[in-house]
Amino acid sequence: MKKRFTILLALLLSIGTILAACSSKEGSSSEKDGKDGKPYEIKWYTIGTPQKDTDKVFEEVNKYLKEEINATVKMTQIDWGDWDQKSQVMINSGEAMDIIFTNGSKYVQNAQKGAFVALDEMLEKEGKELKDALDPALLEGVKIDGSIYGIPANKEAARQTVYTFNKRLVDKYGFDVSTVKTLEDLEPMLKVIKENESGVTPMATFKAYLPYDYIFNNEMPFAFPFEGGNDQVINQFESDLTMQTYKTMHSYYKAGYLKEDAATSKDSWPMDVENWFVRMGDSQPYADLLWSRSAKYDVVSVPAEQPVTINDSVSGSIQAISATSKNPKKAMEFLNLLNTDPYLRNLVDKGLEGVHYEKNADGMITDLPARIESYNIPTYSIGNFFTLYLYETDPTDKWEQFKLFNDSASAAPTLGFHFNNAPVRSEIAAITNISKEFYPALATGSVDPEEYLPKYNKKLKEAGIDKVLEEIQKQYDEWKKEQ
Amino acid sequence: MKRILNDIYKNRIWLIMVLPGTIWLLLFAYLPMFGQVLAFKDFRIHPDGFFASVITSEWVGWENFKYLFSTNDALIITRNTILYNLVFIVLGLVAAVTTAILLSELLNKRLSKVYQTGMLFPHFISWVIGSYFVFTFLSADSGLLNNVLGWFNIDPISWYNEPKFWPYLLVFMSLWKGVGYGSIIYLASIVGIDKTYYEAAMIDGASKWKQIKHVTLPMLKPLMIILTIMNVGRIFNSDFGLFYQVPRDSGTLYSVTNVIDTFVFRGLMTLGDIGMSTAAGLYQSVVGLILVLIANYIVRKLDEESALF
Amino acid sequence: MPNKLNQTQTPGNVSQPLNLKKDGGDIKRKKVRNPHSLHPVMNSIVSIFLGVFTFMCVFPFLYVIIISFTSEESIVRNGFQIIPSEWSMDAYNYLWGVKEQLLGSYGITIIVTVVGTVISVLMISFYAYAISRPQFKYRRFFTMLAFFTMLFSGGLVPTYIVVTQFLGLKNTIWALILPLVMNAFYIIIMRTFFMKSVSESILESARIDGASEWRIFFQIVFPLSLPGIATIALFSTLGYWNDWFTALLYIDNPKLVPLQALLMKIEANLEFMRQNVEVGLMQQSLFDTLPQESAKMAMVVIATLPIAVSYPFFQKYFISGLTIGGVKE
Repeated sequence: MKKRFTILLALLLSIGTILAACSSKEGSSSEKDGKDGKPYEIKWYTIGTPQKDTDKVFEEVNKYLKEEINATVKMTQIDWGDWDQKSQVMINSGEAMDIIFTNGSKYVQNAQKGAFVALDEMLEKEGKELKDALDPALLEGVKIDGSIYGIPANKEAARQTVYTFNKRLVDKYGFDVSTVKTLEDLEPMLKVIKENESGVTPMATFKAYLPYDYIFNNEMPFAFPFEGGNDQVINQFESDLTMQTYKTMHSYYKAGYLKEDAATSKDSWPMDVENWFVRMGDSQPYADLLWSRSAKYDVVSVPAEQPVTINDSVSGSIQAISATSKNPKKAMEFLNLLNTDPYLRNLVDKGLEGVHYEKNADGMITDLPARIESYNIPTYSIGNFFTLYLYETDPTDKWEQFKLFNDSASAAPTLGFHFNNAPVRSEIAAITNISKEFYPALATGSVDPEEYLPKYNKKLKEAGIDKVLEEIQKQYDEWKKEQ
Repeated sequence: MKRILNDIYKNRIWLIMVLPGTIWLLLFAYLPMFGQVLAFKDFRIHPDGFFASVITSEWVGWENFKYLFSTNDALIITRNTILYNLVFIVLGLVAAVTTAILLSELLNKRLSKVYQTGMLFPHFISWVIGSYFVFTFLSADSGLLNNVLGWFNIDPISWYNEPKFWPYLLVFMSLWKGVGYGSIIYLASIVGIDKTYYEAAMIDGASKWKQIKHVTLPMLKPLMIILTIMNVGRIFNSDFGLFYQVPRDSGTLYSVTNVIDTFVFRGLMTLGDIGMSTAAGLYQSVVGLILVLIANYIVRKLDEESALF
Repeated sequence: MPNKLNQTQTPGNVSQPLNLKKDGGDIKRKKVRNPHSLHPVMNSIVSIFLGVFTFMCVFPFLYVIIISFTSEESIVRNGFQIIPSEWSMDAYNYLWGVKEQLLGSYGITIIVTVVGTVISVLMISFYAYAISRPQFKYRRFFTMLAFFTMLFSGGLVPTYIVVTQFLGLKNTIWALILPLVMNAFYIIIMRTFFMKSVSESILESARIDGASEWRIFFQIVFPLSLPGIATIALFSTLGYWNDWFTALLYIDNPKLVPLQALLMKIEANLEFMRQNVEVGLMQQSLFDTLPQESAKMAMVVIATLPIAVSYPFFQKYFISGLTIGGVKE
């Protein structure tokens, strides 16, 4: 019995080796042409619901690309909800592809694992124009251990968290929202709304804002405070400010300003249903206009923070070149063109003129129904915003405002610092679990911070938070030295 | 050697029968198993594809397993996983067999069929939708149950913050979803029982209860044992949706809802480490294998015919 | 206790009734009744008890139907309600609008389910029958071979590589069928059925008559084990019908997406929209055409009803096994 298993195992291993040999051979012997002869087909996987007219549009795209760079593109969209899992399996399995969409922590993890090609050299040659077109802060933020592994979409590079109000209610009660600077300032308004508007939840469920620059994300304890030019990583749940803020949140919760199930809430509070008074969100220039349009009633925002450039805000949308690409240079040439050539950028994004959109005399456009129904492409995921045609409803200085917004932002202490978690993985796995246990309840005010914050911190201590803090500090100091 | 060939020749008909299945098992189950080595590697991606990645990734020994044991939570999640599964195995077995016997004994056969079909419905409802349903009852803001309590002047209960109710709720939900499906096997087995056994028992004047005890249950026994052994093998695994979706990932309930699968899922959210997830799976499988071997050994001692192997 | 069990349990042992007689010898004689009848009072109690449980099982489904007729606005404002404040047909209008995709997906699901179940039942029966026969010298090895795969799986990525790179099945219908053909769980159950319902003594007489093992399998074994085969066929059908994960992994082409995968896509997309509210807010039109909660529920209705009502078809065979079983005497 045992012997038979050994034989079987040996057999399997040998099959595995043969397979390995086959697959690697396939990798090396494949054609690397594209310059002369047949155009190289760039395989591009990106996020979004697959669209009916993709083939039609890309016929046009490919006609253009063949002339420009002797390449064609096969774009495959993977649906929103499937994206995370499917793209990760494709990356881990080393599927042959050229360009793949990625963002946030997924980008960092996969780049650290070697899934993407470092682009620094190519950005000096094939991607020269592209590099010049991008906001330098963006490239700074996506650097991992000194190298760039993906092309961030050139759009708003900073984050500005805002409180957004339902304007009808603001006007009705004559509130002066411009006085709102902190969470505490909301109190009198919330009280009035709670007392007078029965169908309205004063606060659309949100997690309290804290002025920290987070390693990982806001649920995890590791943070650098924005204020005070601090180079010291802290446990955000030990700070007085956190305690204060959560206490305020808890008093709001007790007063019934939030839904009772806020901690486990899965409501997305869609704008078009007018059942809220204040909400929190990330802004960009003319966001109120955009939001009012989608809500079909007016909203008004006040900033909760000054615009700040953080790793998260620059890595919201990245197109990376896969390590399995057989012709990374061609892929770079395409990305270069996509981000700098207005014709190509708009063709990929808006579709065909006359079919998917119409252009008026000023060069501004209007979507035709076909754009919504059969070529509804997520603009943010594709690339450069600043070469996009403006819609007729857009303010004419929209992109200038974007540039001003980016320029006005200050860089966060950790911009470009990407923690390598390898030495403390066990601790992080445990701390993530603990954070999921406590954070949502605390940040929505559902529980009393006087009781739960100490409990939280005790558990974090037991899970080895000190070791992680130390490791972060060590890596941060080293990184800082090299800057 | 000659003896082996001779044996193979003698068994050729059976070997041909298992051939298609064996090919499938080798291709779809055994071939991918080499991926288990990732549990001992720090996975790095190599441009030449997955095999190259596996081979070139560094060995890290037991590093990937550490997080499963290093925390205080490890004890809680292991306890939760085992206790829930034990309850599910025992109650699931009792409920499925009882339901199957009752369904087969119903005088109105048409009604029995309607019931059988009805009981299968939960099997089609995903836990995401199941959790909506539970939420309509338990929601703190608008839940039906709190409304009902209100009629009796009982203070509303914040269900998603009260761990004490959840063990019962989860067991109930698990049974709700599984009983219909689980009883099918037994039902099919009961109708397959030769009627002459019952006739013989009847001639002896055995009551219904005695018939069940002395004919039906013994006839179902092999199936009950086999299914239980198989469930024992999965004692470290759990139905993820039941423990994640149904309690709405409520942090205050973790002490009674966190099981190995949810712990691993949450823990790896920030890490996304394939080596660590493989390690978790391997750990669950190895424990399962050991328990199955023990269970099978015990069954063999008691009753060789019923053992799995 | 073990002793007593030993007397009555041996599957397919023809001498069993005799043992039973002995066992039941001390029981006081009663009026002879139909062996399958239950006392009417008891019957009513059982009927009510099972009825209540059945209702609990079906009720959530009725609730799903109700939500599918609820207006989206009402869902956002009030959450899910047993009696919605505002009814609407929007969900079904939406489904009607995408009827081509739906019909296509129905077609894929049906083809995959039918073809898959047939292959599955044949392969599992062969395998399980062989390992259930005492003459088969390597039966324990092959039982282990199958059982082992229940505990140890290859993992997502290696399986993905076998299916896509080694077998080249990506974006073909076979990628939806082949990965689910065999299942150790079904094999073991089927083996138990064969051991119990197909006794060697019947087969022996057929063998003496010179029937080949194949003829024996199809003419004697198969009919004898119909309830077991129907069970496996049912499980396999349910498995194929409910499967969405293989489609998520192996299918990019919208034309090959089966019904449940379509449903799960909607579910996953809704979750994505919840977690990435800002994406939708910045490009208003992006999520407008995607289905919402009520449409999802309508999908559940149309994806579940056909398979749920197909159960009686399988039930038929749970009974026909009996009559053929009687022939063997």
